[in-house]
Amino acid sequence: MAEIRLEHLSKSFGDQNVVQDVSLTVADGEFCVFVGPSGCGKSTLLRLIAGLEEATSGHVLIGGNDVTQREPYDRQLSMVFQSYALYPHMTVRDNIAFALRTAKMPEAVVNSKVAEAARILHLTDYLDRKPAALSGGQRQRVAIGRAIVREPLAFLFDEPLSNLDAALRADTRVEIAQLHRSLGATMIYVTHDQVEAMTLADRIVVLRGGRIMQTGTPRELYEKPANVFVAQFLGSPRMNLLPAYQQDGLMKIVGQVNGFAGFSMPQPSTDIARIGVRPEDCRLVDPTEGCITGKVQACEYHGSNLHVVVATRDTGTVSVLAPPGPSVGFGTEVGIAWSAQACHPFASQGDRL
Amino acid sequence: MIKPRRLENAILAGPLVLFLLAVLGFPMILSLIYGFSDTSFQTLSAPRFSGLENFRDVTTDADFWQAAGFSLRFGLLTAALECVFGLALAVYLAPLIQRHGWIVAVLIVPMIVAPAMMGLMYRLVLHEFAGPLPYYLYHWLGWSPSFLGPRNVFATVVAAETLQWTPFAFLLFLTAYQSIPQDMREAASVDGTRPWRLFWKIELPMMMPTVFVAMFIRFIDGFRVFDNVYTLVGAGPGGSTTSMSIYIYETFLRKGEIGKAMAAAILLFVSAFVLLSLAQRMLNRADR
Amino acid sequence: MKRRMGLRWLVFGVAAFVMNFPVLATVVTAFKSPGEVTRNASLWVEAPTLDNFALVLTISDRLNIYHYLYNSLAAALIGAVLPMIVAFPIAWAMVRRGLFRQVLFPLVVNLRALPLIIFAIPLYLMYAAVGLLDTRLGLGLLLAVVNLPLTLMLLVNAIAEIPAELEEAARMDGARLGTLLIRLVLPLCRPALITTFVFGFITAWNEFLFGLMLTTRDAVPMTVGASFFFATSGGGVQWGVAAAVMVVAALPPLILGLIMYRRISGSMVAGAVKG
Repeated sequence: MAEIRLEHLSKSFGDQNVVQDVSLTVADGEFCVFVGPSGCGKSTLLRLIAGLEEATSGHVLIGGNDVTQREPYDRQLSMVFQSYALYPHMTVRDNIAFALRTAKMPEAVVNSKVAEAARILHLTDYLDRKPAALSGGQRQRVAIGRAIVREPLAFLFDEPLSNLDAALRADTRVEIAQLHRSLGATMIYVTHDQVEAMTLADRIVVLRGGRIMQTGTPRELYEKPANVFVAQFLGSPRMNLLPAYQQDGLMKIVGQVNGFAGFSMPQPSTDIARIGVRPEDCRLVDPTEGCITGKVQACEYHGSNLHVVVATRDTGTVSVLAPPGPSVGFGTEVGIAWSAQACHPFASQGDRL
Repeated sequence: MIKPRRLENAILAGPLVLFLLAVLGFPMILSLIYGFSDTSFQTLSAPRFSGLENFRDVTTDADFWQAAGFSLRFGLLTAALECVFGLALAVYLAPLIQRHGWIVAVLIVPMIVAPAMMGLMYRLVLHEFAGPLPYYLYHWLGWSPSFLGPRNVFATVVAAETLQWTPFAFLLFLTAYQSIPQDMREAASVDGTRPWRLFWKIELPMMMPTVFVAMFIRFIDGFRVFDNVYTLVGAGPGGSTTSMSIYIYETFLRKGEIGKAMAAAILLFVSAFVLLSLAQRMLNRADR
Repeated sequence: MKRRMGLRWLVFGVAAFVMNFPVLATVVTAFKSPGEVTRNASLWVEAPTLDNFALVLTISDRLNIYHYLYNSLAAALIGAVLPMIVAFPIAWAMVRRGLFRQVLFPLVVNLRALPLIIFAIPLYLMYAAVGLLDTRLGLGLLLAVVNLPLTLMLLVNAIAEIPAELEEAARMDGARLGTLLIRLVLPLCRPALITTFVFGFITAWNEFLFGLMLTTRDAVPMTVGASFFFATSGGGVQWGVAAAVMVVAALPPLILGLIMYRRISGSMVAGAVKG
């Protein structure tokens, strides 16, 4: 296993800058997830690490070695593709064994490694079938088997769960996490799904427009997002963003209830533009209490909670996750309250204060 | 009362069926009649039934067997050569073609020229006085081979056909090569597979169906060759480049032996049909 | 990471040169005067001249190239368009109704592999009886047969790509079969029709054997007409003029083919692989 370091990595296609000056270190044995909306450059970044794309500038270092100029077959990495990319004319056994035979290992060693990988991934019964005779989930496991059998310096995953149905996706997610624990391998995982990112990662890298928006553990990113983009990307329903201003040393919401004083500021600053509050931190209260008021626009019953959408006068629609109880009627006047600790203040450019 | 649908279907299928009957069906019947009769150009309307006599004439004619042998060797050799060169070119030039598509246009020019014209052009190229090839060979290497002489003529016609039709195989293989999913190559590459092994163990096996199809088509085309061989050398020294088609042509028009020509044509038809059915069955089994 | 493009360019250059050598030599020879032809057999023309082309393109007793070109054009047009007309209705029926699909489709498609000389002889006799010998129509009919398999295959493929919902929507709007075919299906097949036409035209133009057998004077196509210049009777061949004739003869399909090469390369593959 090895550490992977990216230094000022950039990639342009013509005049399109897909990856812009990305510097990053993935520690040895870490499970690092690249996440972001489509077109943010996460797949390109992964392919740069794999060597499938040539960097326009910058360096890729694996285990301390600069591999930027090396071909993919010289980097000792393994990659699991979104479409699995299994060789259709070979059996499962031969698919998994292929790379080992490339390395000219003795046949006995090859067989034992293949058998071991098959055991870990529950593929022993399918070793002699061809990919066409397998289900999507089984093919996925063959792809993973092909990757682990080589004992590479690191594993790369390119949206491996996208082609699976929801139930299978959840199960396979757990399997991948287990795999990481048992192998202790460095894994870099690309996805657009924030749930996968939150549940699998030791560290998350949020990308947008080819740049890193924030990196950190799932908790760090969720509890202290560094900017508006990260704040709204993680968490469902999305964090509410309310226009705010500063007055008399306190943070106030535009159009807030008259009796409400405001929130104390975490540190003195004059440039507050918005305050973020997560729906689950909000409470529905009497219209005379709370920070802001509005009329209920929608109330969704989710079983374990109520998702209430409130239309306010000055701050747009606000989502509240309320405890399961009787539904709130359409048009009801309600107040919304939350604590000062639940506030995420953001400056006009979108960065956290 | 014919149901409207039946009538519609009849109208839709009518043109093709009528066309085939008129232009093919009727001649098929004629050819059967004449194959089993004794006819000459003078007695066209009154063929005299002669049983299997024509077939006997054909199968005892040494020229017929020589032509069959030529067509067989010619077909196999040209198909094999075209496939090897076509495959090599397609695979090797594919990265280049990705960026500069016009390369394909230049390489398929030989296919667009009429084979008959190609044969005539080769006549020019190989001509002792006016042809560039003897000129350069003599000037640079001191060689003066007789391209159309009895020893070299087979090689010459094989070369001419191969050079003209390699682009066809090239095109087939290029398409097959380009349709291999790119992420399969990427997966193999990340796994440590170098280019040669990638080709030999992954890309080529995936292109095998195309290889068979290409070999088969080019063999059939080579087997029934007429145009470029005829315009280049005609029947050839000692009849050595007479293909099956040329044999039938000469028997029919030069010698006027209608019945015999028909018999040969029927034999050719039957063998081609058998070959075709065999190939179809093999393809069907391969599909599964 | 550069994949040794230089060597690939070299291989391309050599392959292109070797395979196109006859064409190059012919074009070069067409620009040589009679004197230079006998003197200089290399590819470098010392004193290029347009005399050969002038001779070829003017009508004379010996050669009326426009006669041959016209014959080729007429026969090739028939040979390219007729199969399309004949095959289109039944192609639709095969795709949407499975009509005769099992029987006729393989039959027509396999025509491609049968040595057509088999049909040439009885057709000769039949034409002789009906008076179609040495006519453009007669030649065109046979060229249509040659193009039928590929035409049917391409049309079937093209129609299969049209979503059935479009036709259903048109039927809900009241379209009967004729309207459906002519105003909806036909326009949607335009790309395939163009490809089929180009490929069929080139194939028909390049045909030699049938032209040789079925025409003598009135309907002789360009391919056969060009071969007359190579009859080595008497004083030998006038290579410069012959080369010019061949350049003119090969030009139409070449131009057509190069403009459309992206399309026909696709159709060639379809024709080969599906068969």
